[in-house]
Amino acid sequence: MHRRRWLLQLILRALAHRKGRTLLLLAVLAMASSLATALGIVSSSMGKRVAEEVRKYGANLIVIPESARLDVGSGGLNFGVVSEPAYLPQRQVEDALNKSGLKVERSFHLRGAMHWKDSDLMVEGVNFADIRRLFPWWQLKGRWPAAGETVVGSDLATRLKLKPGDTLELDGKAQTLRLRISGIVSSGGEEDGLLFLALPELQQALGLDGQLTLVRLMVTAGKDSLKKNAAELQLLLPSAKVNEVRQTARTSEGLLAKVKLLMIMVTAVVLVSAGSSVAGTMSTTVLERGKEIGLMKAMGGTRWEVMLIFCGEAAMLGVLGGVAGYLFGSVIAQFITRTVFSASAEFIPWFSGISLGVSLFLALLGSVGPMIAVFKLDPVRSLRGE
Amino acid sequence: MSEHTIHTPILQLTDVRKEYGSDGITTEVLHGISLTMEQGEFTALIGPSGSGKSTLLNIIGLLEQPTGGSLLMQGRETGTMPEEELTRLRGKSIGFVFQFHHLIPAFTALENVMLPLMLEEGRLTPEQRERAVWLLTRVGLADRVDFKPGKLSGGQQQRVAIARALAVNPPLVLADEPTGNLDTAAADGIFKLLYEINRESGTTFLIVTHDPRLAKRCSRVVELVDGRVVS
Repeated sequence: MHRRRWLLQLILRALAHRKGRTLLLLAVLAMASSLATALGIVSSSMGKRVAEEVRKYGANLIVIPESARLDVGSGGLNFGVVSEPAYLPQRQVEDALNKSGLKVERSFHLRGAMHWKDSDLMVEGVNFADIRRLFPWWQLKGRWPAAGETVVGSDLATRLKLKPGDTLELDGKAQTLRLRISGIVSSGGEEDGLLFLALPELQQALGLDGQLTLVRLMVTAGKDSLKKNAAELQLLLPSAKVNEVRQTARTSEGLLAKVKLLMIMVTAVVLVSAGSSVAGTMSTTVLERGKEIGLMKAMGGTRWEVMLIFCGEAAMLGVLGGVAGYLFGSVIAQFITRTVFSASAEFIPWFSGISLGVSLFLALLGSVGPMIAVFKLDPVRSLRGE
Repeated sequence: MSEHTIHTPILQLTDVRKEYGSDGITTEVLHGISLTMEQGEFTALIGPSGSGKSTLLNIIGLLEQPTGGSLLMQGRETGTMPEEELTRLRGKSIGFVFQFHHLIPAFTALENVMLPLMLEEGRLTPEQRERAVWLLTRVGLADRVDFKPGKLSGGQQQRVAIARALAVNPPLVLADEPTGNLDTAAADGIFKLLYEINRESGTTFLIVTHDPRLAKRCSRVVELVDGRVVS
């Protein structure tokens, strides 16, 4: 029988002999490492989950044309800035988005004025499929428009006494459009004062083929922050201005950072408590086994050899606790993500390393004090039972 | 065999002193003990409680260092040895039998006997395992080899402890009141066993006992009173 096998047998027998204490230590280590694993898995997949939640709040980046700016004033007298209407070429935006490699959902908009009866109406050309996906909170009375149809913002409909089924004849710079109202839309925002029609129809009517005034983007959170994504896109679109929708972007990132910090703090508290518990239990074990340790020393076991046995016991417990912690932690992570995000957590195999590391670290750290006691233990006194 | 080996005593203590205490207040427990033990001796160490028997046994067993004097183990001066070397020498040269046997409860009788072999050699050969089984057979426990200490009587546990003390075939066995915790019949059996082993193997025994009846059966009696050898 070789030393290593013998040592392993010695450790296993010692652990099996003290089933209650071994189970207690295993439970503490498994609990701590499972919590670290669960919070780690939840934390690592939370970015994605929060991004999914934030989708409900619409676009997080907007792209607008860098308008031609003209400062009005002379000397110390400044009347401010006036800008001419400016547009973004749709093709250029599409190319930039493709080049950026960002995971993004887009909605193209062209806003302009069309003449109806004696007044001008603000109209917006959109792709209704994109609108329905990116702005799910828009409420519609009637139905979404088909070709030759339009939806009217609720405020505008009230002001002009428009209702579904009415027909409007709108004059644009290039074409006159005859549109039937298919529904009244309400978003709770400025959209309620607009009239919406299909983007290509408006581009043709205004003589602005392939031109846009606004692009709304919903970037799915990746490793980089939204700010960095915006900066990258800005480089690809020098003639445009890429802005974060601050309330959405910052809230989601800030919330994510705070929740992660909370998780780290909870984990730290649990690890400290578990470490203290391990230290206490290991100390009791050493006290109980003082005679055994003294005996081994008396029979020719060096201090290092005897300490190695206790170190081995701690490491064995650490490994077993780590394995149990990983499995249990993965289950907890599933439970949390199902309960909180109504989704299933990712299975992250490399977290087994973290779980093992946490458990081993706790087991060994908690054993430092008892190990020193083992190292210093006087065999004469311990055999006397002092 | 060289002349040196023939005449080297197993143990030689010269003017061994031991003091305990701190902060300038010390108590001398052993006052210049000189003692020589030759191979094959079967010696009883007797004396009243507090006479320094256990301290002397611990010093001879290299578990404690004397405050003064010298201790030669098989001719080797131990006073200057580093702790690791002392531990190795102890493991190889001295077997211990304690009053409360101190068996490891998680191990079987055989594993307890094999423990010093593993600590000493780092591995166990089939021959060593055979020796451990033979020792248990010799102490009358052939049918209890795989029993854990909890399943053995006090006398049987002490027999396992004796087999364990002999596992590495040490030249010296120190027994600290090995019969002190046993009834008269079991004590007689254990004492007889120790004596037989001494006769058979020539192992030197130093036995601490309070029992004058058993001491009389030893080939030599060393009496300690107030930290001094009186006979």
